[in-house]
Amino acid sequence: MLDKESYSIQLDEVDWNDTSCLITYGPLPDKLILSIQTVGLIHKPLLQRKSDGLFRIICGSRRLAVCRQLGLSPLSCEVLSISTSPVTSLRTAIYDNIAQRVLNPVEKSLVLTKMAKHLNQPQLVQEFMPLLDLEPSDTLCSRYVQLLPLEAPILDAIAEGTLHERIGFVLSPLERGDRLAFFNFFQELPFSVSVQEELVETVVEIGQRDNFTPRQILDSAEVNDLRRAHKRPARQRAQQIRKQLQARRTPRLTARQERFARETKDLGLPPGVRLIPPPYFEGPKWSLEFTFAGAEELAIRLRSVARLAEQAKFQRIMERE
Amino acid sequence: MMYFPQRLVIEKEVGDSPLVKRILATSPGLPVDWVDRVPENADGENGSFLEIVKFRGRFIKPCPGTRFYNCCGYQILNLGIQCSLGCTYCILQAYFTSPNVRLFANLDDAIQQLTEHLNDSPDHIHRIGTGEFTDSLLLDPLIHLSEHLVPFFAAQPRAILELKTKTAQVDLLEKMDHRGQTIVAWSLNPSEVIAREEAGAATLEERLGAAKRCQGWGYRVAFHFDPLLAYPGWRKGYQEVVERLFSAVDPGGIVWISLGTLRFMPTLKTVIQQRYPNTSILDEEFVPGLDGKLRYFRDLRVEMYAYLNELLLGIHKDLCIYLCMESDDVWREAFGYTPVERGGLSAMLDRRALSSFVPASI
Ligand code: SF4
Repeated sequence: MLDKESYSIQLDEVDWNDTSCLITYGPLPDKLILSIQTVGLIHKPLLQRKSDGLFRIICGSRRLAVCRQLGLSPLSCEVLSISTSPVTSLRTAIYDNIAQRVLNPVEKSLVLTKMAKHLNQPQLVQEFMPLLDLEPSDTLCSRYVQLLPLEAPILDAIAEGTLHERIGFVLSPLERGDRLAFFNFFQELPFSVSVQEELVETVVEIGQRDNFTPRQILDSAEVNDLRRAHKRPARQRAQQIRKQLQARRTPRLTARQERFARETKDLGLPPGVRLIPPPYFEGPKWSLEFTFAGAEELAIRLRSVARLAEQAKFQRIMERE
Repeated sequence: MMYFPQRLVIEKEVGDSPLVKRILATSPGLPVDWVDRVPENADGENGSFLEIVKFRGRFIKPCPGTRFYNCCGYQILNLGIQCSLGCTYCILQAYFTSPNVRLFANLDDAIQQLTEHLNDSPDHIHRIGTGEFTDSLLLDPLIHLSEHLVPFFAAQPRAILELKTKTAQVDLLEKMDHRGQTIVAWSLNPSEVIAREEAGAATLEERLGAAKRCQGWGYRVAFHFDPLLAYPGWRKGYQEVVERLFSAVDPGGIVWISLGTLRFMPTLKTVIQQRYPNTSILDEEFVPGLDGKLRYFRDLRVEMYAYLNELLLGIHKDLCIYLCMESDDVWREAFGYTPVERGGLSAMLDRRALSSFVPASI
C-alpha cells in the first residue's frame, strides 16, 4: 500500500513543469469543468512531495488543471512521501487512469515511453501492453513510442480520433515538413485509414525514386489541381488523386490496365458482361462476369460472347496478357 | 571480402568434428566460447560471431518451389545458414533474426543422410546445392568444406554438387579429383550493381577470374543472373556482363545459366528499407506474384528475360538457359517455348547435367 497523507495545498506549490508522471493528453473535458464548477472537487488529487519543496502531480492532473483554471486554491490533496520510488509513482498514475477510462493512443504512447525508462523491454511489453489493450509485441511497442515526437497538431488529431494512430506510425520516420504535408492532405480529403497508409507508402516511394520529398509531391501542380477543384465532391477528388499517384508509382501496370480497357472496349462485349483479367495480368485465371435478368437473356449473352471469343482480337487480348 | 569471425561459439558436442579442428588450426588465437547449446538468437555484434553447432534436422531437402511456377527440381544440402556478404536484397535477412553465420559441424550425419537419400532413388539424377541459406564458398578458406564434399560427389555417378558463390575463394578446388561431378556457379550482376548492392561480395572481375581458373581445372561452371535488377541503364549493364563473361570463360564449359528477376516476400521490404535506406532496388514497381512474393510487373520480367536470352544465345547458341520460378506464360513469351515442350525443366537440367560430364581422367 502507498504511504500517503492528506494536506491542504496551494496551487502555486504544484510543480506544473514536472510531467514525469503525466500520462493524460488532450483537452480538458467540458463535463469535468462543469462538475468541479458545480460541486467542487470530489476526488482528491494525488501528489508527491519533492525535495525542492514543490509537489509533483501523480493522479488528477486534469482535475488540478480545471481547479487552476477556475482559481480554486487551496485544495485538499493526498500526498506521497519523497521516498516513493519514481517507478511506483508512475505505476500509480497509470493504474489510476486505466481504472477510470480508456486511454487514447497518445496516452498509451506516454505510458510506454515513460515506463520504458524504468523497465526492460520484456517487462514493459508483458505488463503494460495488455493493460493498454494492446497486443504484447516489441514492434507495436516501439511504434507507439515513436508517436510522441510527432508534431502537436498530429498528436491532437490522434488523441481526438480524427487521425488513426496507424497513420502516426507510418508518418513517424518522415521529416517534419513531410509529416505535416501528409497530415494537412488527410485532413482535407476523405481517405480510409488503409488508403492513407497506402498513400504514404506510394508517395514516399515515388519521392525516393524520382528524388523529390513527399511534400513536393503533395504540393505538385498535378496533385494541387485536383486538391483545389472544389467544385467536385471531396470523395471524387480523393479518388482521382489516389489514382493519379498510383499511376505515377506503377506506370507499367497502369499502362497495361489502360491498354486492356481500350482493347476490351473495342471488343464490344454485350452489356452486362465484363471480362476480368487475372490479378496483375499474371496467371491463367481469366474471368467473365455476367449480369442478366433471366435464362433467355443469359443465353443471348453467352452466344454473343461465344462468337466474340472466336474473333482474333479477343484471342489477341488473351494471348498478350 | 574474406569472412573472418571475431569469435567462435562452439557447441561442445561437435568439438571433435573435422570442421572444428580445421577452423581451430586455421585460426589460432581466435577467442572461443565452448557452450552446451548455442541459443537460437545468440548475440554477436553485426554478425561477427561464427556459431558452430550440431544440426538436428534433415540436411537434405527439396528446393522450396511453388506449384505456381516451374521448379527446377533442385535439392538443397543445408550445411549452414546466414552470410556475411551483406547483399541489400538478401532474402536471409528476413529468414533469420541472428546476423551470425552458423555452421552445422556434424558433417558425418550430413554425409550419412545424403548417402541414404541418394541410395533411396539410385535412378534419379540429383542436382544438389549448398548455396541456398548461405554462400557455398564463404567459409571454405576457414573450414575446407569443399575437401569433404567434392570427393564425396566425385564418387556419386548420378549426383551433381553445385557450389553457388559470390566469392572468388576457389583456391582449394584446384587440386581436387572432382570427376566432373562438381559445378562451380557464380551469381552475376553489372559492376555498378555489385558496388551498390553486393558490396561485401567479390567484384565481377574477381568472380569471372575465379570461374576461368575453375574451368582451367576441369570444372564445369554455371552462372546465375539472379537477381536480375532493373535500373536505368540495365540493358547496357547486363550487356557488358555478358561480354565480359564470354571473354573470360569458354561457353562450351558452361553447364547452365539461370535468369531470375528480383523477388522477395513482402516482409523483406521493410527490412531492406530499414537496413539500406539508400538502396534503389525498391524503386521499380512490384506486384504480388502467384506465390505471394513481390516481383517486377510481368511485362518487365519478360522484357528482361528476352533481352538476356537473346544476348546470351547470340554469343553461344548451345547454352542451357532457364528461368528460375516463372510461369509457362512468361517462359513462352520470353523464350518462345515452355519447359514442358522440352520434357520439363527438371529433365532439361538433368540432361544437361549428364550430357556434359567430364571424363574422370581430368
Ligand atoms: S551472397 Fe547470397 S547469401 Fe550472401 S548476402 Fe548475398 S544474397 Fe545473401
